[in-house]
Amino acid sequence: MAAAAGVNKPGAGGAMDSCVRHGRSAAGSAVKVLECGVCEDVFSLQGDKVPRLLLCGHTVCHDCLTRLPLHGRAVRCPFDRQVTELGDSGVWGLKKNFALLELLERLQNGASNQSGMSEDALGGVGERIVRCDEDESHTASVYCTVCATHLCAGCSQLTHSTRTLAKHRRVPLADKPHEKTLCPQHQVHAIEFVCLEDACQPGPLMCCVCKEYGKHQGHKHAVLETEANQIRASILDMAHCIRTFTEEVSEYSRKLVGIVQQIEGGEQIVEDSFGMAHTEHVPGTAESARSCVRAYFADLHETLCRQEEMALSVVDAHVRERLIWLRQQQEDMTILLSQVSTACLHCEKTLQQDDCRVVLAKQEITRLLETLQKQQQQFTELADHIQLDAGIPVTFTKDNRVHIGPKMEIRVVTLGLDGAGKTTILFKLKQDEFMQPIPTIGFNVETVEYKNLKFTIWDVGGKHKLRPLWKHYYLNTQAVVFVIDSCHRDRLMEAHSELAKLLTEKELRDALLLIFANKQDVPGALSVEEMTELLSLHKLCCGRSWHIQGCDARSGTGLHEGLDWLSRQLVAAGVLDVA
Amino acid sequence: MKHFLRVLAQFCVFLYCKFLWRTFKFVVRKVTGRCELQRICYNNKPGARRTLKIESSLKFSKSELLQSAVNVHPDLVEKTIDSIMALKKINPDTNPQLGISLQASLLQIVGYRNLVVEVEKLRREPYDCENLEHEEMLLKLWKTLRPESPLSGRISKQWCEIGFQGNDPKTDFRGMGLLGLYNLLYFAEHDKATALQVLHDSLQPKHRTISRGETSNISKIEWEKKKFDKAIGYSFAIVGINITDLAYSLLVSGALKTHLYNVAPEMPSLVHFQQTFCYLMQEFHRFWIEEDPCDIMEFNRVRNRFHKKVLKQLKNPDMALCPHFAASDLHLVNL
Repeated sequence: MAAAAGVNKPGAGGAMDSCVRHGRSAAGSAVKVLECGVCEDVFSLQGDKVPRLLLCGHTVCHDCLTRLPLHGRAVRCPFDRQVTELGDSGVWGLKKNFALLELLERLQNGASNQSGMSEDALGGVGERIVRCDEDESHTASVYCTVCATHLCAGCSQLTHSTRTLAKHRRVPLADKPHEKTLCPQHQVHAIEFVCLEDACQPGPLMCCVCKEYGKHQGHKHAVLETEANQIRASILDMAHCIRTFTEEVSEYSRKLVGIVQQIEGGEQIVEDSFGMAHTEHVPGTAESARSCVRAYFADLHETLCRQEEMALSVVDAHVRERLIWLRQQQEDMTILLSQVSTACLHCEKTLQQDDCRVVLAKQEITRLLETLQKQQQQFTELADHIQLDAGIPVTFTKDNRVHIGPKMEIRVVTLGLDGAGKTTILFKLKQDEFMQPIPTIGFNVETVEYKNLKFTIWDVGGKHKLRPLWKHYYLNTQAVVFVIDSCHRDRLMEAHSELAKLLTEKELRDALLLIFANKQDVPGALSVEEMTELLSLHKLCCGRSWHIQGCDARSGTGLHEGLDWLSRQLVAAGVLDVA
Repeated sequence: MKHFLRVLAQFCVFLYCKFLWRTFKFVVRKVTGRCELQRICYNNKPGARRTLKIESSLKFSKSELLQSAVNVHPDLVEKTIDSIMALKKINPDTNPQLGISLQASLLQIVGYRNLVVEVEKLRREPYDCENLEHEEMLLKLWKTLRPESPLSGRISKQWCEIGFQGNDPKTDFRGMGLLGLYNLLYFAEHDKATALQVLHDSLQPKHRTISRGETSNISKIEWEKKKFDKAIGYSFAIVGINITDLAYSLLVSGALKTHLYNVAPEMPSLVHFQQTFCYLMQEFHRFWIEEDPCDIMEFNRVRNRFHKKVLKQLKNPDMALCPHFAASDLHLVNL
């Protein structure tokens, strides 16, 4: 069916072309609504019948306007007598009614399209419409097999009313038998066979004469009807294939449209709970993605604002405290000054008195001197340990907290099995000397300054019994340093289980993890890669910032690289070099 | 101004040391007719007071012979004394006591220096698993402390029972070397009663007696937690090694001179040092119980306080850190 339509396409196209031409010529008669109210002629897009607008809003054609009587330099509207001033160019200066012109144009186009469409429809039907042979204006519905005529029902009755003719077999038009094609060589014989030889493929048709005696003598052959039916069947098959294929294609394009719609979003008809249909704006995925980005950045902005506020408040508090302290000092100094001056005054007064009184005042003077000395001492002590510096050194941590002071303090806990080298590392960092430590009972704590960071390192003993006590050192810890003995393979699993236990601690959720693979200098020590593999660190430390550093506490190699990593994680970029 | 005064003060001290002190000594010598060593020996009782003074006198002497006397080999002490007497023009016949006193003091001084060297050598010697002697000592330590339960193997979890950190005590001797093992063994053998007591206390943690009023204030969970923390008492062996470190630092810093000069009539030896260790273990144990820290994490704080306390005691020149041996162990101790 569809194949038939496809096959007929070129023909249909040709018919449409002629229809369109026909429609264009008929356009004038089709649009008769828009006519001038004066002359009742139809407006045209240009020329004499162009619609022009008067001041009152009425529209009159150009032709009629020129005929209107002039009142000075003005014309009166023929409908409501309102005056419209004309310029130098007269009627030509009046504006065309563009809205009307546009409407006119659209109507014309629409009419031609419409007429084209209707013609097209007609043409489609015309394929099957067969005119009645009796009367051209009738449409045939039956076919008389005897007279070989197409007839409409009325004419069929009329023409086959006689007894003889009434016996003619008439079938519905659809069942009309196909006409037999005659052989071009043997005009009397109909074509009945098809040659199957390859050589005869350009002209395979043959009648019985051709088959027996003509050019297809002795050729393989088949009956025309069966061959035709075969071809029909194959065409039907193909049609089926094509149908499914088109369905697929259209399904796909429908999906494409749907996806485009989903991306773009827009108005959609939605039925609400009461069954009332109404349009609703459905956001597309593009829009939701945009809003997602907006929300994220809004959040970021908010966090930043909050952090900024917090940082500023820290600075404010610092400044306030400092100022209060300084003012206090100022006041103290003023008091001190006044005390000193009183003492001076007193001394002066004593000086001027007579000898007896001076001697009497001796005790008082010595007391005064003593207090003065005491105050002087206090003052020098005070001046010794405060440096007057107006600077407020500011550093930022990676989480955008502000730190005031020359050194940023970081709390680190060093953990690991006993004998891994925690204390050795601590003392190597602290004093840059290697010493064999004794087993740590409890903990050691040291501050190590590195660049402009001040690490407070808590080294907690690794003895089995002490491990449950590690948790007391987790609070406010910014980093955990886990030390592993690289040359003690059989204790690696113990270290692994301790590390796994550590990582589940809630207090250490945000803490950085630095793993020192210690004793790299000992021959036979596990390399960093092997260790990472054996402890499955990638899996274990998934989702937190961690680093494994090979080191050797004896010579100190690798220790500062570890600290470097820590500081890079803790301090915002670019601040490290401030010191 | 202040700075200038400080410099001036330093200069005065320097001047005093350089000239005035010597002038003073010269004058006194002329007046009394005795040299400085004589004065020290006659005015002080034998012991740390005398020996310390002699040591500083010798050290600051301008005579090279006297200066080098403190570094002389023990066998040459007698000869050195003779040459000192000759140098100072002291007649041995008129002052028979002086030679003997000087010799004793000098032996103490030289002995102390040798002891430091000896102890340092022991500390430097790492524990060696291949060395049978070391292994035997370690097993002996176990047998002394836990005679009733045999050790299942050289590397065993049982070592934790006497307070080592892991299955192999070797790792715990890294800092103090053989010195730790020598001291622990001496303590266990010669002061068995105290050692067993300390071990017993560390294994059977005493629960803090919490009064009724206190109990009502804290929840049960908290109480349980405290009890748990408390249960982790200190461990015998590694505390022993820590105290060895303490004793070692006292010895190297010279603080133990007071004690050893008082205790040892002639040359102080390793035995004296080990006895000092026993004393420190006893005292530390008592101090720990007195301090009653809430958990083992306070060990270093307690240790530092103990260290300061001992140092303060040693400031007194009559001080001697003599361990109190139980009567049953006394026959082992050869003073």
